[in-house]
Amino acid sequence: MYSPNSLAQLVPNVLYLLKSLVLEIVPSTLLMLMESDSPVSKKSRLFHTEDCEMEEVPSNAVGVNPSLQWTQWQILDSILPTGGFAHSYGLEAAMQSRMVNNQDDLKSFVIQVLDNTGSLLLPFVYCASKSPDAAAWIKLDQLLEATLTNEVARKASTSQGSALLRVAASVFTESQALQDLRRTFLGSKSVSFHHASIFGLICGLVGFDSETAQRAYMFVTMRDVFSAATRLNLIGPLAASVLQHQVAPDAEGMMQKWRDRDVSEASQTAPLLDVLQGCHAYMFSRLFSS
Amino acid sequence: MAEAATGAVRVERVRGRSALTRCFARYPLKLIAPSKVGPSSCDAVWLYALTYGGGIVSGDTVSCTVSVGDGCTVAITTQASTKVYKAVGSKCSEQLLEARVGEDALLAVIPDPVTCFSTARYHQKQVFHVSANSNLVVVDWFTSGRYESGEKWDFSFYKSVNHIFLGDQPLFIDSTLLEQGSTYSIVERMQEYNVIAMVVLLGPKLRHIQDKMQDEVKKLMSGQLRPPTSGGSLYTMRSQLPQHPQRPQLVASCSPFGRTGTGMVARVAAVNTELAYSFLRHRLAELEPFLGAPPYAAS
Repeated sequence: MYSPNSLAQLVPNVLYLLKSLVLEIVPSTLLMLMESDSPVSKKSRLFHTEDCEMEEVPSNAVGVNPSLQWTQWQILDSILPTGGFAHSYGLEAAMQSRMVNNQDDLKSFVIQVLDNTGSLLLPFVYCASKSPDAAAWIKLDQLLEATLTNEVARKASTSQGSALLRVAASVFTESQALQDLRRTFLGSKSVSFHHASIFGLICGLVGFDSETAQRAYMFVTMRDVFSAATRLNLIGPLAASVLQHQVAPDAEGMMQKWRDRDVSEASQTAPLLDVLQGCHAYMFSRLFSS
Repeated sequence: MAEAATGAVRVERVRGRSALTRCFARYPLKLIAPSKVGPSSCDAVWLYALTYGGGIVSGDTVSCTVSVGDGCTVAITTQASTKVYKAVGSKCSEQLLEARVGEDALLAVIPDPVTCFSTARYHQKQVFHVSANSNLVVVDWFTSGRYESGEKWDFSFYKSVNHIFLGDQPLFIDSTLLEQGSTYSIVERMQEYNVIAMVVLLGPKLRHIQDKMQDEVKKLMSGQLRPPTSGGSLYTMRSQLPQHPQRPQLVASCSPFGRTGTGMVARVAAVNTELAYSFLRHRLAELEPFLGAPPYAAS
């Protein structure tokens, strides 16, 4: 069986076909195909996952609004077609420069990506979710456009953000504010629809509290990096789930560390990964768009 | 900042040439403006920013305002790397720069790197106000410390902020923060790299330098990036090769910024300072016609 990675390498043109495939077919089908690639030893770790919990999904049962919970799960679900699966958050470039070679490197990579997401982007999620109105959001969007100085990351952010707004406006028809936002700005040249501020805005509009919005943003980031790692054949899907569970406490720690900060504090904390991610466009063959 | 500033510089056009009309500095900053850096035919003011003792002690703040008048050219540099000495308690060493760059003017901030000693705490903020056709070069870089003697990424806190505003619009907002105490220490995050550098090139005069740098960086990097499967599957490769296969000694990437793409930022990670100097020397050599001397020329 050919992995998507080696396929893309053999025939660069297949790359685009693969990308669209990945986005259209249910990802789990693809992941199951790839499970045969994961070393047997990792399968023994199944025993540790018996208490596989869903702590990333907030479930404070007391007084929770059931319809809100359905909404939350839908927003966090990887089936929501926002194109997150087209992005590796710099992992592909890190692998091609031999910075990430194995599972230990992957763990360190994921944690650094999450740390950087927390320090750089959570302030935007926080501010957008706290006051989800168009005027404040435009300011955040413009600031984010200037803050994402890495072109690869900037384009990934706008493509995911505009996809998310389009999807959310179609799905959550009950939110008048979302409809207005789409009608007024989609196609406008003055806004870029960066992901973090759109994500925060949508979370705020559908009724997430700002803590949940920030935790959710960390979760989708982590989810997408692990998804990319499995498709890059760096780790099997089962081992990825094991690692995801191991990393969750770190992710929560970073969420707590960086939460509720103003955008004036936004900083990047992984300069090496930033340089590497910028190299993404220089790769001759690649599977992801960032 | 104006009252507390330890330095203030103004360059204006006097009889058709860039002239230093104000140059104030007080302890711990010293400014030297040699007149013979380049040939007299070249219209540029050079300023060397010095600190007593070659660095900034804990608790000191060096702040400077620079005003570059319309059509003027200014280069600000240092004589050697800026040392940031060990922190006393939680006190920071600070460097602040606020600059205005006029129409058709060029400001080049081309210092040597900042070197933070072990336990040092350093904060730097540079704010640039530009107009639509201002030209700006900013090199902002730092090393892991006195790494030759084993002090590698051993400082406590480093934060460098670079803001560029076009009118009241943010054009480039950059902030890098490195702090001990995360899940992974700074040295773990930086692997074998000892230098992180950023080069900002903005404005119509620098267009060709931007384009050339982008081409050269792309050429440099694309040869070094390859999928890990190229020598067989990932798993067989892992068993054959040592833990960390050879990585590039210098990693660089370029990105345009600004809605009209007038700016470009290059980011570089290098295993040693010499490689970073060599990168800067070659990529910025074409500033010589503007400045009268090439930046980072071998001394």
